[in-house]
Amino acid sequence: MKRAATSLVTVLMAALLTLTACSAKPTSESPADPPTTAASLPTVDRAGNPITLPPEITRVISLAPSITQVLDALGLKDRLVGIDTQTPRYVPGLDSLPQFDMMQPDLEAMLALQPDLVLVSGISLYASDDPFKPLKDVGIPVAVIPTSNSIEDVMKDIQFIAGCFGKQAEGEAIVAQMRAEIDRIAAIGATITEKKRVMFEIAPLPTIYSFGSGVFLHEMLELIGAENVFADHQGWMAVTEESAIAANPDVILTNVNDIDDPVQEILSRSGWENVTAVKNRAVYYIDTAASSLPNHHIVDALKQMARAVYPDQYAAIGNPLAP
Amino acid sequence: MKTGWKLVLTALGSLSVLVLTASFGSVPIPPGDILHILGHKLLDMPLEGLSPISADILWKVRLPRAVMAYLVGSALSVSGAVMQSVLRNPLASSYTLGVSAGASLGAAIVILTGLTLSFAGMLTLPFVASVFGLSTVFVAMGLAARFDRSMHNETIVLVGMVLSLFVNAILTLVTALSQDHLRQLVFWQMGSFSGKEWQHVAVVTPILLTGVLLLSLLTHEMDILTFGEEQALSAGVELRKVKPLLIGLCALLTGTSVAFVGTIGFVDLIVPHVARRIFGASHRLVLPASALLGGPMMAVADLVSRTVLAPRELPVGAVTALIGAPFFAYVYFKERSG
Repeated sequence: MKRAATSLVTVLMAALLTLTACSAKPTSESPADPPTTAASLPTVDRAGNPITLPPEITRVISLAPSITQVLDALGLKDRLVGIDTQTPRYVPGLDSLPQFDMMQPDLEAMLALQPDLVLVSGISLYASDDPFKPLKDVGIPVAVIPTSNSIEDVMKDIQFIAGCFGKQAEGEAIVAQMRAEIDRIAAIGATITEKKRVMFEIAPLPTIYSFGSGVFLHEMLELIGAENVFADHQGWMAVTEESAIAANPDVILTNVNDIDDPVQEILSRSGWENVTAVKNRAVYYIDTAASSLPNHHIVDALKQMARAVYPDQYAAIGNPLAP
Repeated sequence: MKTGWKLVLTALGSLSVLVLTASFGSVPIPPGDILHILGHKLLDMPLEGLSPISADILWKVRLPRAVMAYLVGSALSVSGAVMQSVLRNPLASSYTLGVSAGASLGAAIVILTGLTLSFAGMLTLPFVASVFGLSTVFVAMGLAARFDRSMHNETIVLVGMVLSLFVNAILTLVTALSQDHLRQLVFWQMGSFSGKEWQHVAVVTPILLTGVLLLSLLTHEMDILTFGEEQALSAGVELRKVKPLLIGLCALLTGTSVAFVGTIGFVDLIVPHVARRIFGASHRLVLPASALLGGPMMAVADLVSRTVLAPRELPVGAVTALIGAPFFAYVYFKERSG
């Protein structure tokens, strides 16, 4: 459990970068939709850059666990020739592949693997706009999939990845499955009239991180029929301890996994004794990977969140993350 | 007499700023309610008409945080003033000899290993961090003494800087290689008063008070040191004893502060200069003035960091420089032209 902290770190890094850049360049701002007609391959990546894909991709490098999980779901795991250092924690059976740091990949070693396609997330672009130029210069297509902030964009990411391999139908199937499960939750969520107010922590005291609207986790809170206590604000944010207490959430969710017992840590905070969630011991852990890697697994986190906040209403929904 | 009044006024202003910082926050709590809540918490008076959440915010979150900021601001400013005088260098600060680098490395080791010392418990991290911070300074002093038997200031500063960079390099390496704890390491190094409780205040207060009191017994020696080492020697100051003692006490103040709140810069550098502008160079005045000015400056910086964009929190280290630099320019140039 402690080993999976990087997804959080990357989310935080993304958040910090967005903060420092004054949100000048929202990552998910409507990049051109990839064409999804069966025969044609995408001609632009999810960041809107033009790419030219070979008709047959047999050697692919993935530089983000969120992307590798999608490849796994598409049955393309055996085409991987290189991965990022975090991936083996999330997708089994890849330990023997060459690994690259997603923030500082060794481009020469990547080149030596002679990939047909390199898939990278927005995290790999943190230092410069085009760190992969040397690869592109020798004709290797590098597709950028910026960290998506809405469920709709996450679905487009999946379809884009599937499309690169000519597997549009398989991509559609994953997305259709997601939609069906989300609709099932949303149908119950819509019937909930007395909405519980929820705070979702992605980093604990002393630097509590949470989020306002414009983040897929916020959408997920709304889908289950809950209200985000910071809904009036935008994006990832460091919140002051006293404003978190003053918000007085009914339920606190946490996906922190780099401390020993994040739930107990919240329950035993000094000054939080009268917060409704703490008083009622309504503090729950949500799977870190499922709630932070933007791909089809967010549906698992969605179910876990639904069952944590409204156990009675969602009793019929299974918890795919139950140990 | 005039300076005496100045000091009294500064003290009153200083403490009222501390009280004011308690009034502001995500939930405004007017001074009347503050008294009410204090009465409830300290004298067990009933808490009629006030939400228990406001009471908790004031008593368990905001006050310990504000007091901690005040104490740390005072301690850093006093040690900054002493370091500048001892090393006869206006750019010297509490951090010059590697205290913060050492303390950060100590903290990183505790975060990475999950170490808990039985006698320190929850305070393992600050304990180890301050031990590392102090050790770094002692190593710097030891090396300086080996390179240069008479321990000239240039040698001390140079050795301190080099050792500081060396320890920082280890820290950078450790941070880069430990992706699992990157968040905790990065946030710790940014420094923050968030999450401070009375138990932290209770540990820090006696250490900081002792350090400041001991330093204030040595103001005469500091006055002589500012004239240069030859004069100090001829005036009978035992340089080889006094200098390490002063630096050691500064390291104690800074190391303790950094261990609890991380590295928060700027206040320790500029407050002594402001204090000298207003009160002159005599350390009998500069030390208390630094304490009385540094405390409120840090408390206000922390207030700004938790209120300006509330509920968002800003890194306090950025705020100290953002509001400190213009304030410094104002005081410096106003006094000069006036």
